[in-house]
Amino acid sequence: MNTTRLIRSELRKLTTTKMPWAFFAVLAVLAGINAFAVVSGTDMDGSKAFIATGADQQSLVAFAANALAIAGLFGAIAAAREYGHHTVVPTFLAEPRRPRAVFAQFTAIGLGGGVLGLVGAGLTVSAVAFALPTTEYGFLMSAGDVIRVLAASTFAGAAGAVLGAGIGTLVRNVGGAVTGVVLTLLIAPPLVVQLASGTASWMPSVLANVVSGVLDDVGQLAAIAAIAAWALVPAAIGLLAVQRRDVD
Amino acid sequence: MTPPTDHSVIIEHLTKRYGDHTVVDDLSFSVAPGRVTGFLGPNGSGKSTTMKMMLDLASADRGRATIGGQRYRDLDDPARTVGAMIESDAFHPGRSGRNHLRVLADATGIPHHRVDEVLEEVGLADAARRNAGAYSLGMRQRLGLAGALLGEPPVLILDEPGNGLDPEGIRTLRDRLRAQAANGGTVFVSSHLLDEVEHIADDVVVINKGRLVTQGSLAELQQAASLVRTIDPGRLAVVLEQAGAATETHGPDSLIVREMPIDEIGDRAFTAGFAIHELSPRAGSLEELFLTWTTTQSTDQEVTQP
Repeated sequence: MNTTRLIRSELRKLTTTKMPWAFFAVLAVLAGINAFAVVSGTDMDGSKAFIATGADQQSLVAFAANALAIAGLFGAIAAAREYGHHTVVPTFLAEPRRPRAVFAQFTAIGLGGGVLGLVGAGLTVSAVAFALPTTEYGFLMSAGDVIRVLAASTFAGAAGAVLGAGIGTLVRNVGGAVTGVVLTLLIAPPLVVQLASGTASWMPSVLANVVSGVLDDVGQLAAIAAIAAWALVPAAIGLLAVQRRDVD
Repeated sequence: MTPPTDHSVIIEHLTKRYGDHTVVDDLSFSVAPGRVTGFLGPNGSGKSTTMKMMLDLASADRGRATIGGQRYRDLDDPARTVGAMIESDAFHPGRSGRNHLRVLADATGIPHHRVDEVLEEVGLADAARRNAGAYSLGMRQRLGLAGALLGEPPVLILDEPGNGLDPEGIRTLRDRLRAQAANGGTVFVSSHLLDEVEHIADDVVVINKGRLVTQGSLAELQQAASLVRTIDPGRLAVVLEQAGAATETHGPDSLIVREMPIDEIGDRAFTAGFAIHELSPRAGSLEELFLTWTTTQSTDQEVTQP
């Protein structure tokens, strides 16, 4: 009961500032870019082979990898600003058992990330579907594939947001947290793959595309578990740090 | 029938170190219900750290703080037991004052109608829908106070609540805190506005460099000095200080003597052969006392608890 109240409070925090609207605007821009690519883009040979089949279109609209990164930034900012603005003080006064308070915060941020992922995928699929009639190809994805893309993006968004929240809680500074997410999701993976090529299949963007059904480097369940691990490890570290630290 | 709950705040041997630096050093005092207790000390004396430890926002290296016999984290319903204002800017600048309080109300299960009541109470109703980032310092203080009052708690712990308030705001704050104490509530307020503390506080706790300097009834502390007029105040000062008094020169022929009963001052002066031209109780202003406590009085001396 108490946890439900805390989650409601955290959701109200997320919905009473303009930050989510900024992220929705980014999602709309990305969807517009996809639509523009469908209308104007071509392959090297001048054809539109990149949208010629249902699988090609699924690859184009598979938003989970983007959702992971965008929601990661969302989670990092949402968590780190709590410390920057000292709003964590009234939170910990309302619920001095910090693990419970932080769990509620991560849950709300994860829900927010899931919504971002779902909206991002929904806008992208819609934009591509609206743009396809300008080409010689129709919308070739099955309903099942669309649902899979939406579900994968929702899951990746939730996971990315929790990952970002963990980093934001650990770093407690918006700039540092954003840098941490960029390093974790975008910069470090290719460097790690260069050092150990066998790890490529376990990098976040590859895993996200596996869950979306456009890659099959690893099994579905393994990909879901690995994405969850990418999210939960920083979240657990952030949670431990919160328990040990004084509130500045 | 449920026995009345004791909302005393007890601090026992509280100690906090950051590296080699001891910020709060074996601090013990108590805050009684039904009274307003001022918490005084120079900048950097450890007041805010002490308050954070009371509220489990900072961990103590030693000692403990209890509210009604329990640590803050163990209270059944902390937000309805203790109203706290620790950071005056603990809000998101892009969130309205009303939404800030609704966030707090959601977290603590307080009905939303209470948000509007408390905004009215602190005089922020007209600005409730404006973003808190556009508030003046005084309005931010009012918002912080509103957050502390939201759960109608019997205990208030407020760090510098008067900062930036206009005279009307100061008066509202004073009336609210006095009413809280009059209803049996426990009020613990840190402030560097000594005039304000003098008007509002029944008791004071004074710390310096993290250590307790004095604690007690403000009225008694203010009366705890005597004025002595004699021909050679310097020599008399030596005699009285050897006997444990604290003295300060007050004009060419006068001394202010603390920490020694007025009768004893007379007896010792008589024994030492001093002609006394005047010996009278002297009520000092809080500012005068504060400066005495924090600049001349060693915190190693025995704590004054009248």
